[in-house]
Amino acid sequence: MALKRYTKSIDGSIPVQALLYDEEESLTSQDAVGIYDRSQKSPNHQNGTITITSHRIFYVDAQEPENNSFVLNLSHISQTEYYAGLFKSSAKVTCHLSGTPTSQSSDTQEAAFDSWECEVCAFRNPPKLSLAAARVCELCGIPRSSVPVLPHSAPLSTSLPSSSLSLSASLAADSHNSRKRTEITCPACTFLNYPSLRQCEICGTDLPKAKGELKSAPASRPLTPDPDDDDTPRFIRLSFRKGGDKSFYAMLKSSLKNKAWEERGSTSQQTKADTQTLDRNAVSTPGISGILRTVESSTQGRDSDMKDALQDLEALMSKAKDMVKIAAELNEKLTAATTAAADVSPNARLHAQMSGSTKEEPEEATFIRSSLSQLGLQMTNAPVTMDMMKDERNWLESLAKELSKVLQGSHQSNRNVENSNAGGLMKTRGIIALDEVWGGWNRARGVALIPPSTFLQVIPILPTYTSPPIHHRAFTSGLNVLHTPPYSHKEFSATIFNHLMEFESLTLNDLASSEDGESIPSGLLSEMMDAVEVDGDICRDDLAAAIDGGSSGTSAEIRWYLNYFNACSWDGQE
Amino acid sequence: MALSTHTTPSGFNLPSIHSFPPFFTEQPNPTTQTTVTNQWIRLITTYARHRKLFILRIEDAETPGSEWDEILRNERINRRLLPTHLSNIISAMSAKNLVEYEPPKQTRSVLVYWRLPEEWAEVLHDWAVKTGQLNSILTFYDITDPQIESALTNIPVPLLRRAIAILGKTGRSQIIAIPGGEGVRFLARSK
Repeated sequence: MALKRYTKSIDGSIPVQALLYDEEESLTSQDAVGIYDRSQKSPNHQNGTITITSHRIFYVDAQEPENNSFVLNLSHISQTEYYAGLFKSSAKVTCHLSGTPTSQSSDTQEAAFDSWECEVCAFRNPPKLSLAAARVCELCGIPRSSVPVLPHSAPLSTSLPSSSLSLSASLAADSHNSRKRTEITCPACTFLNYPSLRQCEICGTDLPKAKGELKSAPASRPLTPDPDDDDTPRFIRLSFRKGGDKSFYAMLKSSLKNKAWEERGSTSQQTKADTQTLDRNAVSTPGISGILRTVESSTQGRDSDMKDALQDLEALMSKAKDMVKIAAELNEKLTAATTAAADVSPNARLHAQMSGSTKEEPEEATFIRSSLSQLGLQMTNAPVTMDMMKDERNWLESLAKELSKVLQGSHQSNRNVENSNAGGLMKTRGIIALDEVWGGWNRARGVALIPPSTFLQVIPILPTYTSPPIHHRAFTSGLNVLHTPPYSHKEFSATIFNHLMEFESLTLNDLASSEDGESIPSGLLSEMMDAVEVDGDICRDDLAAAIDGGSSGTSAEIRWYLNYFNACSWDGQE
Repeated sequence: MALSTHTTPSGFNLPSIHSFPPFFTEQPNPTTQTTVTNQWIRLITTYARHRKLFILRIEDAETPGSEWDEILRNERINRRLLPTHLSNIISAMSAKNLVEYEPPKQTRSVLVYWRLPEEWAEVLHDWAVKTGQLNSILTFYDITDPQIESALTNIPVPLLRRAIAILGKTGRSQIIAIPGGEGVRFLARSK
């Protein structure tokens, strides 16, 4: 009886491979096997081929494969024994069975295991062992639960094996008859309709849903009570009449050990418990909706990352603003302190104004101011940036104003800071290289640095915002400078000319040590002298031409004279 | 500027420009340099005529002790003409046909034409007429080193050949092969 309760009948004329689930794997098979139901031979199953898969054991009878074949789930096997055989007794494998017999839950289970068509993409999903897999369309990921449960008749309309599977309770001598029984009689015209039809093929009357209701006997009859009590051991034996028992037993053992069905089973339980939560869980949901959900979640993640990063940046900017603010306050306090001091003693202030400088300002304040200016924080107003301006012309003009302050110091507040470094880059110098101006300016700005291209655009309009006007000058060597009027080519030539008239000759060292050229690098001086020389008003004497002494030919050994060649006439021998 | 002329031991009167230190330096300004070069050319040709110097070499500017020292060096202002500067002056002179590279195909030694080859030809013919040597055959040595010193004493043979060739074009000289070298016969001006 155990055999009947735990197995399902199949149509053995179909190859075993065709009956397998997707995830099921056929392992080995052996012919000439007989079945014992408990200790007695089962009369219908004495010679057949037994096949073991990762999930089930198939028995296909040799004489009547259509009627006498069956399948046994490995999950029912609780224990196995092996008997090697003795004399005429063949080797046997005993499988102890336990758990709920298949037949009781078979109907509902089988409905889930059947192949089904997805209502969205019309993909025909193959039968799956596990419920989880069977609930979701393989192709588009739409859960099956959204599809109304098919009427009980549906399995019968499908393929032959599933129809016989649905009637698993009986050991299937009548599987052919069962089809006729399930035909539905039209209540109006009494035509026997095909079971899957909802309306009568002849007259169109709605057919009653429950098939077989008009029949006297229900399709699935209650099981015959098991004559055996539960305490009696339930087992079947496989008798290997022609050997192959050892390899089969090894396979059975490994298959039982792997428990391929169990993983799916646990998933299916979870699925049953909370289908809804599973649907929301993007990671484990396959198909298009799963992909969409993954994309969505990754976008959200990126958004939040970006926000975090920007927050950091904003924090940094606010810090920088604070720093500028502190510097401005400090500067104001210093100014206020010195003016207050000056107010207290008007005489001293007057004196200071007359002498052109404020001696009252403490050295510490000067030091602080100079430190601030070195940090680029000397300006009370924030640097001009592009977005403050309406158009490019305004932008360049305000940049020129700013640059003029950097170069010459601010005119509004410089009475008190005459002595400090706030005088600007060109406070003590009349000529300055362009790269130094650019570097100094950007250091003074601190933020929103000016690119060289913009800087070069500002240079041409600089003279209109500076007093005295500061002009740009390019030397033939490619050196670019900004200079005040005394250092223009014309003025400088005149200066040199006067000097030569007075002293006859002149070297770079003479020039550099004169008060005008104090802060001008000698390289720059030599550039300017070269420019004067191009005019032809002066000529040079290189010490390299000396009979005694230097012949290295460096520029320091060059002495300039007025151009005597043009003036002199031939006064030598004819 | 108080620059003055100076008379050398050889009796040459140096121009005041020779005491101007920049005169010895190559000027970067091309206009100024042209002026300087022209002054130098004039100085060199005048001095060569004064001393009857025919050959000027770059070496003369490199080492002291040459016969050009009086103009290439000025000890009073501690200046000398640098060889590169002299080389540039010489190429400028060559462009003006005032010198001839001698030997040809090099640039370190030149014949200074303080008289043009045409002028030399006339000098040569006049000398032959004056010394009554027309129609007689003379060797080059007879001309370059005559017993009575003449204007042609020490004239370099290449210059002499050119002068003779110029005379030959007008039929006033003939090159004649003689044993041991070449000879020349001067003829009266054909009328």
